[in-house]
Amino acid sequence: MNDAVVEPLLESIRAFARRHVRPLEIDQQHSIPREVLWGLAELGLFGATLPREWGGAGLSALQTIRVVTALAEVDRSVATTVGLHLGLGTRGLVAWGTRAQQERWLPPLASGEAIAAFATTEPNAGSDLSALQCLAQPAPDGTLQLFGTKLYVTNGGFASLLTVTASTPGMGGAERGTSLLLIDPKTPGVARQREERKLGLRGSSTTAFIFDQVAVPNDAVLGEPGQGASYLAHVLSWGRLLLSAGCVGTARAALDAALAHVHHRRQFHRALVQQEVVQRALARAGAIAYGMEALVRTAAAAEHDWDLLSRLTTSAKVFCSEGAFELADLSLQLHGGSGFIEDTGIALLMRDARVTRIFEGANDVLLTHAGVLELTQPAAVPTDASLSGLWSAVALRRNVLQCEAKGVRALNRRAAQHALGRAVIWRDAATAATSLARTPLERAAAALLCDEALNVAMAPDLPAVPTHLIVAALLEGVFP
Amino acid sequence: MTDDLLTQRIFSMMAELSTVRAPDIRLEHRLREDLGLDSVCSMELLSMLAEEFELDVPMEEAAQVTTVAGTVAMAQRHLALKERAVS
Repeated sequence: MNDAVVEPLLESIRAFARRHVRPLEIDQQHSIPREVLWGLAELGLFGATLPREWGGAGLSALQTIRVVTALAEVDRSVATTVGLHLGLGTRGLVAWGTRAQQERWLPPLASGEAIAAFATTEPNAGSDLSALQCLAQPAPDGTLQLFGTKLYVTNGGFASLLTVTASTPGMGGAERGTSLLLIDPKTPGVARQREERKLGLRGSSTTAFIFDQVAVPNDAVLGEPGQGASYLAHVLSWGRLLLSAGCVGTARAALDAALAHVHHRRQFHRALVQQEVVQRALARAGAIAYGMEALVRTAAAAEHDWDLLSRLTTSAKVFCSEGAFELADLSLQLHGGSGFIEDTGIALLMRDARVTRIFEGANDVLLTHAGVLELTQPAAVPTDASLSGLWSAVALRRNVLQCEAKGVRALNRRAAQHALGRAVIWRDAATAATSLARTPLERAAAALLCDEALNVAMAPDLPAVPTHLIVAALLEGVFP
Repeated sequence: MTDDLLTQRIFSMMAELSTVRAPDIRLEHRLREDLGLDSVCSMELLSMLAEEFELDVPMEEAAQVTTVAGTVAMAQRHLALKERAVS
């Protein structure tokens, strides 16, 4: 499908959303109306990334991010429902499913008759997936028996297919192997729990699942048994990519609302937009929104280079989730008191954006991970000479850390890795923005991002005060 | 430190990061597939090792280690280098 087909699809999505999607009602009712889900299915959105052979549209990652962004501009719960289905929910099945597995599941998933979910978070395994306790062991009858609990399963309330990560000791010759299992929630022993009550994304379904002696046939294992950890890396890349695309939609919606407001709102005899402080804030917001979009596009373009996709989607997830929340907060601030009132929809944008800094890898964990990657496998330096100063600053930070800590011991310095990770993420956003900039305005936005990225790269990572003393005093209850 | 003591210490450190108990760890185990340590966890293990024994292990060398035996060999090699430098 080329852009000549995607553009009309985006128009159809916008027209449908204008007529049928009511974000405040979805938020108040804690669910997306059935007719909205049917409408999305009729538009073919649940099959957007699925192969044409099974009834999907076979969209590329670059095309799919535009679909998710368009949905998120209208309502983040709707975008999350569709994005989760297309990314985490079905990516494993598309990439490693056997023909029989695909034949059974992909046609109903493409039509929207079935919705997919992904179950990996556990009570003791959030961002640390090495702590998975959900266990699948061979039973005497030749099946696997699955035990354990999964939390915060997006689309859990109505999903017809769960991709479940489980520890499968010994399977595939891996003593501590992990496998991905395709589970029908109607299977005996699977107990779907009640809908969670949340701060935001209230229209998006979130439930827990308890698996008690669930008989899983061997043909429900996705790909090679015991290789789930390596599959997971790719599935999570897609999850982060589409989440980031949703953040771009939120940022656009927040910025559009802010711009509309500052044009007509007058204070001190002038429109807000004429105030210099407001202009500076809006210029920075515009640059961040452009950087978010550029980074997501750059990541999506790496669809077939899985290592690069993983690296860039990590940067995109952190940069875009922070950017979307910051822009929603700015929009609320510029709206003044009216922004705090739910009816304007700005508070909803901010509440919906908040969780994106947490799920699909908490940002602090991803920042540390980005720092470790930069220490152990530095990214390839781009040829664009205008970026050499920024890349050198990040490389200098990396080299100083390695020299001070004497090689691999640098990895024990978590706070320094975290700071290096933040420098990497800003560098990646500024690089993507610079590489894609074509117009003078885009180049100006990219230059603004490069300036800020350089400041981040050169910021000290050691606190000027003994923070451990303050923490100890707080824990002992003697301060403040 | 004898090779046996070094190996036992390394097994204990691996058990701290993995759910596999120290007595069940074997030299032929792979860090990822058998101990469940992803690439970040594996590097963390090697950094803990380098910190405890004050070894200066280059990042590139550490990144090549994928097995328990490789970890032990890396530690032995750098301990020997350290002793030689001291003497």
